[in-house]
Amino acid sequence: MNIVEVKNVTKRYSQHEALSDISLNIKKGIIYGLLGPNGAGKTTLIRILNQITAPDSGEVWFNGKILNRKDIEKVGYLPEERGLYKKMKIGEQAMYLAQLKGLTKNEAVEKLKYWFIKFGIESWWDRKVEELSKGMQQKVQFITTVVHEPEFLILDEPFSGLDPINTNLLKNEIHEMKAKGSTVIISTHNMNSVEEICDEICLINQAHKILEGNLAEIKQQFRENSYSICLANSSTAIDLPSSFQVLEENQQDNCKMLKVRILDDETANGLLQSVMRLGEVKAFNEILPSMNQIFIQQVEKYNQQHHE
Amino acid sequence: MSKVGLIISREYLTRVKKKSFIILTFLVPLIFAALMVLPVYLAIKTEKNTRVLVVDDNEYFINRFKENDHLTFSYRSGDIAQIKNEALDGEFDAVLYLPKNSQKMVANLYYKEEPSMGLCSDLESQIDNIFFDQMLRDSFNIDAEKFNTIKNASRAEITTLQIDDQGDEKESLAEMNKSIGMICGFFIYFFIFMFAGQVLRGVWEEKNNRIVEVLISSVKPIELLMGKIIGLALVGLTQFLMWVAFTFIILCGIQMAVPNLLNDSDTSSQMVAEMMNESQMAAEDTFDASTIFSDISNYFPISFSQLILCFLFFFLTGYLIYAALFAAVGSAADNETDSNQLTLPITMPLILTIVLIMPIANNPNGQLAFWLSMIPFTSPVAMLTRLPSGVPLWELLLSMTLMLVFFVLTVWFAAKVYRTGILMYGKKVTWKEIWKWLKY
Repeated sequence: MNIVEVKNVTKRYSQHEALSDISLNIKKGIIYGLLGPNGAGKTTLIRILNQITAPDSGEVWFNGKILNRKDIEKVGYLPEERGLYKKMKIGEQAMYLAQLKGLTKNEAVEKLKYWFIKFGIESWWDRKVEELSKGMQQKVQFITTVVHEPEFLILDEPFSGLDPINTNLLKNEIHEMKAKGSTVIISTHNMNSVEEICDEICLINQAHKILEGNLAEIKQQFRENSYSICLANSSTAIDLPSSFQVLEENQQDNCKMLKVRILDDETANGLLQSVMRLGEVKAFNEILPSMNQIFIQQVEKYNQQHHE
Repeated sequence: MSKVGLIISREYLTRVKKKSFIILTFLVPLIFAALMVLPVYLAIKTEKNTRVLVVDDNEYFINRFKENDHLTFSYRSGDIAQIKNEALDGEFDAVLYLPKNSQKMVANLYYKEEPSMGLCSDLESQIDNIFFDQMLRDSFNIDAEKFNTIKNASRAEITTLQIDDQGDEKESLAEMNKSIGMICGFFIYFFIFMFAGQVLRGVWEEKNNRIVEVLISSVKPIELLMGKIIGLALVGLTQFLMWVAFTFIILCGIQMAVPNLLNDSDTSSQMVAEMMNESQMAAEDTFDASTIFSDISNYFPISFSQLILCFLFFFLTGYLIYAALFAAVGSAADNETDSNQLTLPITMPLILTIVLIMPIANNPNGQLAFWLSMIPFTSPVAMLTRLPSGVPLWELLLSMTLMLVFFVLTVWFAAKVYRTGILMYGKKVTWKEIWKWLKY
């Protein structure tokens, strides 16, 4: 079941098109990566999901109904540019934001206490934001994003500016939100974290969707049929049938590392048989493209096609 | 609590709890009360009897100084250096020394304890008169009394009479109405700028620290805008009412402590009277508080409470109009220079009215005053300046209606601009650009 369905959404600003006929399906309970270069239209899409702006045409469905004002309380949003009132006490501020999301005063106190204790920041309640470091502010901001237990969580560059420990803490929290049944959208340029936590992704470029689907499937789809092989005790020159193209060859200690692409109708088994004759096969792995590669490749391909 | 309510209470509480708000709330009434009471106090201080010893080398001042209740003169001749020390140690408060001179009168006044404020000018004018008489007689052989009769007969005097709807004549205090009007005008000008300016800064702050994106993912931009404007309006009202209340309390306290200082039963009109009368007081030779106060309550064409109500109406609507426009501008501008450029066209009319406040006060029913009090941008200041002199009811109502209509228009305009502006970063916004946003 889809929690969010974006149907043919188009948004134009005076000089340019920010989103062009975008359709997306986000399944309930997954972590969804929203990827794309700067200026691709991600922020506009996020703002439409948040009902900060409205699309010029197209529809957004939420839980099987057209997105409406009431749904706002089921959405949590962590914007890319973090912001809190600098002169306001943290506790008061968190209370204010929690109540704006529809919690009653008592609920807000109770839930905020839980989160403040969980993050070990109870003692900050009466401090002002301007006294905190950037990382500390991020924690507070994250709490204000999730305190109303949103079904649908939108995180824009959640890991930027965090140290490795806090990054880990945040990743765990995201997984925990998922385990509780929330759906999480992450917009980020950090492809490593995408591979680590996203179930599905969508790649937007120049206002168009150019890729969408399950992360593992996408990686399969873009595999280049190449393998990395580690050969020990190989003294002979590498000589393979012409259907195998050697992309790379280098010596590491007493291992020979090979990168080979299979051409024509040959199979991995065929390749394995061929290399077995050359020495002792220590490792034989398929090389799957990294998200980083797919990103760069797809975006550049699209840009070239549309440049001509 | 509704979301707008939450926003209002945050805006209100964070501002009311600020130190600057608390200090201003107490300080301004103190300054106000001081401004009102000080002239009276100084006038009373002169009532202490001052004894002056006159040492005149010319010998025509002898026995010619006029005495009154708190000023007595004695005369002696001799060496000033010797006399002055003796006299000041003894029974005299001051020694006036007039050295021999026939062309220009120069005099010295010696004292140990500073004499009351009016003494010097009083002595100066007396010396002037005596010397003048002397010159008339000595040089032109004209009798001083004859001269004064001619002078008095040729002096013109105008009494202003206002005729009200029933055709009754009222002796109006045009001068006083003028100054009351101007003070009201200035006051509303500062109030509008002060609080609408805070809206501008508030919007700007939220935009710049980016919290606005979190906020409008929870509430509609219009709710945020209205919450902010209403919250600050309440801050303004609180401040104003506290000022009125504290000034009142302080004045009552002073009256209780020194009953003679402000003796009149009608305290409210007394306050205004006090406020406006300072300038006149100084000019008044004999100051009698009670007669002046009762005079005012008779001649003032609009009652004090009506004035306060009109003030509140024009402050609120004027504030709302400017606050909405400032909010729009604050949302559109990325930095202070930009916002200054954008606010200038908005503030020009208001500043213009302040520049024109003298002509308005001088001719409160003239063309200029009429039109400025009809244009919503300028009418808060212009109308308040005119009000104490009396304004036809239809003009007042028309002006109020126009304010309300214009208020609705500005809020509509501001909401449109604000919605787009708060999410616009890194772009220099012009009025032309803002015009386009209206169509989004």
